[in-house]
Amino acid sequence: MVDVKFPDVGEGVTEGTIVKWLVKEGEEIKADQAVAEIETDKAIVEIPSSEAGKILKLVGKEGDVIKVGSTLASLAVPGETVKKPETGAPEKPTEAKPAEAKLLEEPTEVKPPEVKPQERPAEMPGRALAVPSTRRLARELGVDISKVKGTGPGGRITDEDVRKSTVTEAKVEVPQAPETRKPEAAPVEIAPEIKALEERIPIKGIRKTIGERMVLSLFTAPHVVSMDEADVTELVKLREKEKKMAEEKGIKLTYLAFIVKAVTVALKQHPYLNASLDQKKNEIVLKRYYNIGIAVDTPEGLMVPVIKDADCKSIMELAQVSEKLADEARTRKIKLPDLKGNTFTITNIGSIGGIFSTPIINPPDVAILGIHRIRDMAVVIGGEIKIRKILPIVLSFDHRVLDGAQAARFMNTLIEHLKDPDLLLLDGV
Amino acid sequence: MSVDWLSILDAQGNVDESLEPELDTETLEKFYRTMVLTRMYDDKALKLQRQGRMLTFGSSLGQEATAVGSAFAMKPDDWFFPAFREHGVQIARGIPLSLLYIYWMGSEDANLTLPPKNFPVAIPVSTQVLHAVGAAWAAKLKKQNIASVVYFGDGATSEGDFHEGMNFAGVFKTPTVFICQNNQYAISLPREKQTASKTLAQKALAYGFEGIQVDGNDILAVYSVTLAALEKARSGGGPTMIECFTYRMGSHTTSDDPTRYRQAAEVEEWKKKDPIKRLRIYLEKKGIWDQSREGAMIKEITDEVEKAVKEAESYKPVVENMFKYVYADMPLHLKEQMDELQGFISKRRGDESG
Ligand SMILES: Cc1ncc(C[n+]2csc(CCOP(=O)(O)OP(=O)(O)O)c2C)c(N)n1
Repeated sequence: MVDVKFPDVGEGVTEGTIVKWLVKEGEEIKADQAVAEIETDKAIVEIPSSEAGKILKLVGKEGDVIKVGSTLASLAVPGETVKKPETGAPEKPTEAKPAEAKLLEEPTEVKPPEVKPQERPAEMPGRALAVPSTRRLARELGVDISKVKGTGPGGRITDEDVRKSTVTEAKVEVPQAPETRKPEAAPVEIAPEIKALEERIPIKGIRKTIGERMVLSLFTAPHVVSMDEADVTELVKLREKEKKMAEEKGIKLTYLAFIVKAVTVALKQHPYLNASLDQKKNEIVLKRYYNIGIAVDTPEGLMVPVIKDADCKSIMELAQVSEKLADEARTRKIKLPDLKGNTFTITNIGSIGGIFSTPIINPPDVAILGIHRIRDMAVVIGGEIKIRKILPIVLSFDHRVLDGAQAARFMNTLIEHLKDPDLLLLDGV
Repeated sequence: MSVDWLSILDAQGNVDESLEPELDTETLEKFYRTMVLTRMYDDKALKLQRQGRMLTFGSSLGQEATAVGSAFAMKPDDWFFPAFREHGVQIARGIPLSLLYIYWMGSEDANLTLPPKNFPVAIPVSTQVLHAVGAAWAAKLKKQNIASVVYFGDGATSEGDFHEGMNFAGVFKTPTVFICQNNQYAISLPREKQTASKTLAQKALAYGFEGIQVDGNDILAVYSVTLAALEKARSGGGPTMIECFTYRMGSHTTSDDPTRYRQAAEVEEWKKKDPIKRLRIYLEKKGIWDQSREGAMIKEITDEVEKAVKEAESYKPVVENMFKYVYADMPLHLKEQMDELQGFISKRRGDESG
């Protein structure tokens, strides 16, 4: 029997997630045939078997995280008599180490001269051992890397170590659902897909990142939510009027474009909302550039592409850029730089539903604006009931940086500009 | 001043007859076989790496015409200085596949200057440019009738070493052929971020010699241009820079994920320009090649590759070799280090058995 191992597939890789099994237990495979797709922090890679044979056992489920060096699958090579897997007990790990396991182990048998620990070059005091990508991760998660204990080779700090140390600060346990169980001896063969009473979806990729970032945000920034309404009757008229013209230029003139513009105008007047908090130095960083993140619902989860220098763009340009970015995010064509650098974020929940919400701030921002669906509402104006177009808006802000009054003033400016879009002409650059 | 562009065999396998080089059947078959061998060698290396049997490896998928075409234009006696993606040149120059695998498996033994005139892989980007110009200058001073060929990527043209080498070659009119494999990326950095120049070949004009651009996926064009540049070099005409316009179809190395920085559509476009496919069409049109010959060749190459892997994996590195390869005569300080290491190893062996 031969084990197919998960080897070190890229410099510094320590673990990976099983994305997909490409073979089944019992299947005959060829040498060099791919057994599984594994996602590491570098790439999604296919792991081929070094030998031909029959797959006896696949170790782990899709979504499982496995360490470099661990066994992925065991294989009966041709000519080998195999105990029937269904009768035998599941292989114990000790059994999976046959004496004649060759190939993978052999080259390392030639023992290199061992370097005694004290002969290693002395590390610089205080400098944590970690690769640049791990350092960056720590920076992004706001973790002080010098305080993290490394579990990698030679005490190296791994991404996992960094992630763990954020979780210990705000320990969130994923609730343990009971084991998936199939109903015992179902009398009639029901459609196989509804056999399982529960389904387990592994948390990975974007889902995992969202979780980590949201935990970090909600557990470090004291959130306050302020809710309001904007009368956008005039804005609706304006958009209706210009929609055609935009269409002719191939541009979908969205409300979002107007809102982004109004937001940049309001941010300029209320600079503390376009800011971040440098906790280490205990300083508020006011930003004189306006990069607006747009939360986009994608099949894999929420993504936030960023419109760079939104204040310098016309409403038409904003419409165009935001559609393009959203599109790229949905089709996963988006480039990494377009997902970074936000100074303020807008989440557009309106297109799907709900009247109000309490969005979580997108780090490193200090505030996030949620916009909802525009509805016809009865409004009292000058003692008379009028039907107006009303846009509910919410603002979550970080109370360490902002107070309610500042937030309300920002909202007022924003509402003013949404109510009277002519102002955008005057105030917008 | 301008830079010429040469292409002879287009992506559909149509040939420009006015430029078609006169090559006999045997040579054309050799071109084709070596390109396919290179691709299969590459593919096997990637699999070995994913099985934990090889270290980091950079594939040359898509660049086979550049490598093989230029290699066959060289004479065995011309100097060859590779970067790290010249598997096709190494194979065409007769370096055993097993030795190439041994190197990428991490054995320093295989990183040696092989007779007649093959330099080892240079990982530090662009350093080999200086070596190649030095070798060419030496050949000129010795009045040897040979040239020196150096390979490097588009990224290498931003290194100081490249510019020093180019400048020196221009001033001293050394018999150097600079072959830039412009595969459009230096890891994730696209070609347009590498330099504001329209072409890479035009850098040669600044140093006072000829630069030419060639379709790097067209083996006939690469071969013809390199042949002419080498003849010019050997007959005292000085250096030439050839920019082979090609595409790195795979990842930079096994540690890289190109989907993070380039679009699938771009890769699809380049797939249509495959260098092997177009040569095969050309050979089929000439009646030299068919399906049955293809099948037989693939089988033969598969065996050849598997045999090389077996040899490579049964190889036991010789520690002393890493001291031996750097200088023609080992200097004293290296000898001391080697003796010390040998003493250490034999002592350990004694400890273990006793
Ligand atoms: C002096 C130096 N700097 C950086 C590196 C890391 N590195 C390895 S390959 C590479 C990019 C080389 O790009 P290019 O010259 O275009 O060649 P390609 O990889 O595309 O074949 C870099 C930056 C290195 N090996 N040497």
